Amino acid sequence: MDLRTLFVRPASQLLSPLRLLAITKPSAAPLPLIPSRGHKTTTRTKRALKIAPHDSFLPSRTSAAAADSIIYNPPSSEASPEHTPFIFLPRNDPRRQAILRLRSSGSGNPTAYDSSVTAEADLPPEMRYKRRQPKYNLTKEHIEEMRRLRSEDPLTWSVQKLARKFECSTVFVQMAAPAPPEHLQWLKAKMDRKMERWGPKRTQAREDRKRRAEMLYRGEL
Amino acid sequence: MKRIRPSRWSGQLLQARCRAGIAATRQPLFLAVRCQSTSPATTANESSDLDSQRPPLPAPSFDRAAQSAKLAALHARLSLPRKIPLQTLARALVTPSADANPNFNNSNLAYLGSTIINYHVYEYLVCKWPRLPMAILYEALRAYAGDASLQQIARRWGVESAAAPGEEVDPGLLQWKAGEEQMVNTRWGYIRAEAAKGQAWRRGLSSRVVLDDDFGDQVSSSEPEKLEYSGLQSEAFGSVVRAVIGAIYTHCGREEVKSFVKSHILSRELDLSKLFEFKLPTRELAMLCAREGFEAPVARLESETGRLSRTPVYVVGIYSGKEKLGEGAGPSLDVARRKASMASLKAWYLYSPGNKVRVPSDMMEEGARPWTAPYIDIGEII
Repeated sequence: MDLRTLFVRPASQLLSPLRLLAITKPSAAPLPLIPSRGHKTTTRTKRALKIAPHDSFLPSRTSAAAADSIIYNPPSSEASPEHTPFIFLPRNDPRRQAILRLRSSGSGNPTAYDSSVTAEADLPPEMRYKRRQPKYNLTKEHIEEMRRLRSEDPLTWSVQKLARKFECSTVFVQMAAPAPPEHLQWLKAKMDRKMERWGPKRTQAREDRKRRAEMLYRGEL
Repeated sequence: MKRIRPSRWSGQLLQARCRAGIAATRQPLFLAVRCQSTSPATTANESSDLDSQRPPLPAPSFDRAAQSAKLAALHARLSLPRKIPLQTLARALVTPSADANPNFNNSNLAYLGSTIINYHVYEYLVCKWPRLPMAILYEALRAYAGDASLQQIARRWGVESAAAPGEEVDPGLLQWKAGEEQMVNTRWGYIRAEAAKGQAWRRGLSSRVVLDDDFGDQVSSSEPEKLEYSGLQSEAFGSVVRAVIGAIYTHCGREEVKSFVKSHILSRELDLSKLFEFKLPTRELAMLCAREGFEAPVARLESETGRLSRTPVYVVGIYSGKEKLGEGAGPSLDVARRKASMASLKAWYLYSPGNKVRVPSDMMEEGARPWTAPYIDIGEII
């Protein structure tokens, strides 16, 4: 009987003396020194590996314990660009009609991605950043005056100063009243002299910043 | 050990065998040599024959195509129809760099195949993503049907190249060598007047549709630019795929070739959102909203964490009026805002009418439903 058991066991189990001892004495509890990974058949392996999902994956997450925990499934992630927002849908797209129907029926949030028709107050706070706010306040005389000032004394009447005086953007000043070429040359030479004085750290940092911006625009960051 | 069941063999194998028999009876010298191998022993035996005077062929003769196990295997692996003979498949494997004679190399088949591939890929791309910008469309075509992608396909088919092309090589191997001048022109386009100014000088995108080749690449006039070894290699492997598709069209027709292109080329996955590179995303989005008559986009801070810490995270959403266009997260307010505008622009460009779009070539089938016009976009933003 014992011999047959030995014969059937794989060689790896026979290698350890303790294992042998356990086989010879069936009363002692078998102590697997080498953990067995397989379950002999595919069905048993699959059954053993089938683990119930964590509670957070279950559809109802209303219990107080789940609300407290830091696990949230599915985890927050970037919205896929394949999801077209409501106003980007063309007129004859069936999704547009479906969303419109849902909104008119008055359910709270018809599309998870789009915000529904809500009051202005419900929207998140607006960010403060520089953006185009066209005023159209300048006339032809203003622009001529701007050009005259810039050509007469580009050092005093810098882009910033002119923009502040005429209440327009710096881009507009650069377009409407460009500096004389010798002034631009002088500015460039000044910048070059400054850049020559930069050490390796500052140069490296500038290059890195440029590379980071490129990566951002390629969607790699 | 399984027993051999010749009754279950595909027709191709049996066909190849019987043709090999015919060839052997015609030339009794071949009986002694072992065929279906890459060993160059045959030429040594042949040297005593009458053929010893003639110069060696640049590529294996088509008479030996039926004896090649590699060719039969490739034919069976691709499940090609029986109408396509092994000789045509052998010709698809001879590139112009090995044999410059267009009657024996694959250049004609490859050009036919490239037009078919490009047509099917373009109609699929245009119908599925009607708002793609022209530059992205060109790159998407290159990703599906460019030389590098076709080389991958050919390698997955099991096409291997011979160490050097020659008469004694197995006809089932790709015959090509690097460093040969291209005798046959396979790229068609107009030579631009400004081509003499060099590569850096380039006109805008819209003229490429008419003047340049299918991938939007400039056709150079005088001396073609020298490709590297890897470029020549991918061109050679790509020409095999194109030539096989051209051969399918020649022997079997439109329907067969369409299903072949669909299953081998269009079935490959491509993430189009990775192809985009923006310059001024916030400005582009503002121009888009102005063009389409939406309210000007406004960035709103949806949530933030760790503003005073070393690694803050801001989530910014872009809104047009009360409609949200997209959102992005980033380590600074500016980065998050730019990412959000890029996400909204991608959402605009990657609009798709659905997964099951119909393409114009669907109408050529028997009993097709009446055609409904696909969505056509008015064009790019800037």
